[in-house]
Amino acid sequence: MSLRRDVRDVSRGWRWGRTQLVPASAEPHRPAPVSRAFPTAWARTPAAVALRGAVQRFGLRPLVHSQVAVEVNGREALDALRGPVVFVANHCSHLDAPLVLTTLPERWRRNTVVAAAADYFFDTWPRAVGSTMAFSTFPIERRGGDSGSQAVDLLFTGWSVLVFPEGTRSADGWTGEFRLGAARLALDAGVPVVPVAIRGSFPAMPRGRSWPVPGRRPVRVRYGMPVHPVRGEDPALLTERLRGEVARLLDEDATDWYGALRRSAEGATPSPAGPEASRWRRVWAATEPLEVDRVAARRSPWRSGRR
Amino acid sequence: MTRPGFVLEVDERTPPLLVHEGEKVRLETFPLGTRVVYPPESLPGLHDVDGAIRSALLDPHGSDPLPTLLWPGMRLTIAFDDISLPLPPMQTPDVRQRIVEAVLTMAAAAGVDDVQLVAANALHRRMTPAELRRCLGERIFRSFFPDALTNHDAEDRDNLLHLGTTDHGEDVEINRRAAESDLLVYVNINLVAMDGGHKSVPIGLASYKSLRHHHNTHTMLHSKSYMDPPRSALHGSAARMGVLVNEHVKIFHIETTLNNDAFPSPYRFLTRREWEWSAKDQATMLAVKRGLDLAPARVRSRIFRSMEAPYGVTSVQAGATDPVHELTLQNVHRQQLVEVQGQSDVLVVGVPYVGPYNVNSTLNPILAMCLGMGYFFNMYRGRPLVRPGGAMILYHPVPWEFSQLHHPSYVDFFEEVLAESTDPATIEKKFEQQYATDPWYIHLYRTSYAYHGVHPFYMWYWGAHAMDHLGDVIWVGADPRTVERMGFRSASTLQDALQMASGTVGQSPSITYLHSPPFALADVR
Repeated sequence: MSLRRDVRDVSRGWRWGRTQLVPASAEPHRPAPVSRAFPTAWARTPAAVALRGAVQRFGLRPLVHSQVAVEVNGREALDALRGPVVFVANHCSHLDAPLVLTTLPERWRRNTVVAAAADYFFDTWPRAVGSTMAFSTFPIERRGGDSGSQAVDLLFTGWSVLVFPEGTRSADGWTGEFRLGAARLALDAGVPVVPVAIRGSFPAMPRGRSWPVPGRRPVRVRYGMPVHPVRGEDPALLTERLRGEVARLLDEDATDWYGALRRSAEGATPSPAGPEASRWRRVWAATEPLEVDRVAARRSPWRSGRR
Repeated sequence: MTRPGFVLEVDERTPPLLVHEGEKVRLETFPLGTRVVYPPESLPGLHDVDGAIRSALLDPHGSDPLPTLLWPGMRLTIAFDDISLPLPPMQTPDVRQRIVEAVLTMAAAAGVDDVQLVAANALHRRMTPAELRRCLGERIFRSFFPDALTNHDAEDRDNLLHLGTTDHGEDVEINRRAAESDLLVYVNINLVAMDGGHKSVPIGLASYKSLRHHHNTHTMLHSKSYMDPPRSALHGSAARMGVLVNEHVKIFHIETTLNNDAFPSPYRFLTRREWEWSAKDQATMLAVKRGLDLAPARVRSRIFRSMEAPYGVTSVQAGATDPVHELTLQNVHRQQLVEVQGQSDVLVVGVPYVGPYNVNSTLNPILAMCLGMGYFFNMYRGRPLVRPGGAMILYHPVPWEFSQLHHPSYVDFFEEVLAESTDPATIEKKFEQQYATDPWYIHLYRTSYAYHGVHPFYMWYWGAHAMDHLGDVIWVGADPRTVERMGFRSASTLQDALQMASGTVGQSPSITYLHSPPFALADVR
């Protein structure tokens, strides 16, 4: 038992079979920086887009919806909007990107790319090709780098970008601090930001799992009204606005729209960072079952996606 | 090329980190954002140690060359650091052997017949003949043992000499033979910044009457830190005594510094940074950890006691005490100093298997406390790594185990004294004299291999500064009975310990993990 635990710890810590990561603060000592230049333009050609559309529609969406019970709200916010936009969402599971991609309306999904951590999704060729093909990912350095210009170029050429501004999945199900990259991107490209709140993906597939937990857990995806950056706005202020909007959406999803609006007006929106408590209590609270009365838990996977 | 020590911030890329816990190691996943202070990598050792020794003796600082200080008919005494240095013991030949052989070679050439060698063990246990032989080599042992190669005896009234009192009223009483010699050569190993200088002769060769002036609660509370001599009341007192000793005795100091090669191959993974572990390092760690988990305690002890460090000697300097020690400290800092910005709420350390007072013996609960809170807490210059009122989390099993041979007074100290009070000032006032003058403990110290009766008190005072500074002390994986006796708390895991400390430092404390051994001296800005 103990040996198994030791082996598991070592295999996780040192990523057996994959490139070992160097902690960011130790990088100056890395003997030779590994280039993560991975071409992704091929994944945005018409043929690849058509193929991915088929994969997502007939493969990914049925698969996701067979494993979790998805409820989508607020998509009407996108109806009157012209692209491109930056989508920002809270992030606590590898389910999040597939959830957004499979719940976006077709015209948006076709033109949306996903910013993915270069050190995680692009560390080996098979993984990079797979994620680029299925999700139209492009590499972004979590700790800065030159990939920011690629994201702006994509927006300029009409592609919307999905960004998880926390930079990594939440360890306990609650929302961490937002980094400034998404706000900078929107300001640089002059495009609106669509906030997205995802609830339930942490208990459905927390960190450390490679497949959703059995039982088809309920998950909610809620789109918010676009946030328009003001030219010259401080990225930190815009980031704060975006985080506040995601927090309000989470509150709205947990309660009701008007009550969440009132709390937002009074500055009383519950913090998405969760309670000040020990880790286990935070995880405990984050994994409380969602209110399931609005979710048809036994719905056919083939029909649930058309909600 | 060596690299300096540095401060790591734990992020999602950081693998679990190695933590010592007595005669075991574990891999611990620290919370994101934890600051980890790594010791610098080893400096290269000197290629020609014997040549460096010879140069130091012939071209000393603040002194005439050693050969000119030697003449026929003189009384020459050579004192040397005892078994408490270095940790772990170094591979033979020990640098003390090399130096003493060089000194004796020059003494023989000068026609010196009256030579005495003394282990400067103060109130530590005597070194066994085997340990003396290992430390100084077969040639010296065969030439001088047992008559002219001895341990210092701090309770041999006939062989102690009171040299006077300092302007602070401190008694200076040291080994008579050393005090009455025409030349006293002191051979030192400086493992940390606390060692050496005036701490060698006035402390290593002193009696209880002299030691009690600085080995007490008041001095320890005003030593911030022991590793920062200018800010240490302990070193201030030793320096005052040293000035007085120098007025009476001609002293020729020889000091050495070592690099950070604390573990032999194949245990090199213990000193490597975890994300740089090779497949071999990972496999070795798994095998070592599993082996230690399964091995009986006796086998574990044997494995660790057989470890000999392949230390490299980084410098040798000789001459007058002060200029020599200044150079020594520079060399210690060159190897160990790590710049750290600011204090944290929590300091985490892993307490390893060996401390200065349990070589070839058991790390009993008081020594575990002393190693964690006396040594590792004090591995700073400037300010402690943890803020006032913060928490310290230590890893060690802290079993209720004592060596009856080496630590007899510790048993009674633990059972009787700590049961009544854990406050250093209180126990100093109420119990110290009784233990220091107990005839049975003195007998065991003089004739067996026991630490002096007062030694556990000194070890307890050693933690006084940390106890005064910290708001909470929690031991992970420890026997709850032993840590409770010492006035601390125990936890099963780091998460539990942080939860327990949350009353002192809040739910989201800043954490620093001092990744040791080998040693890192945090220069906290």
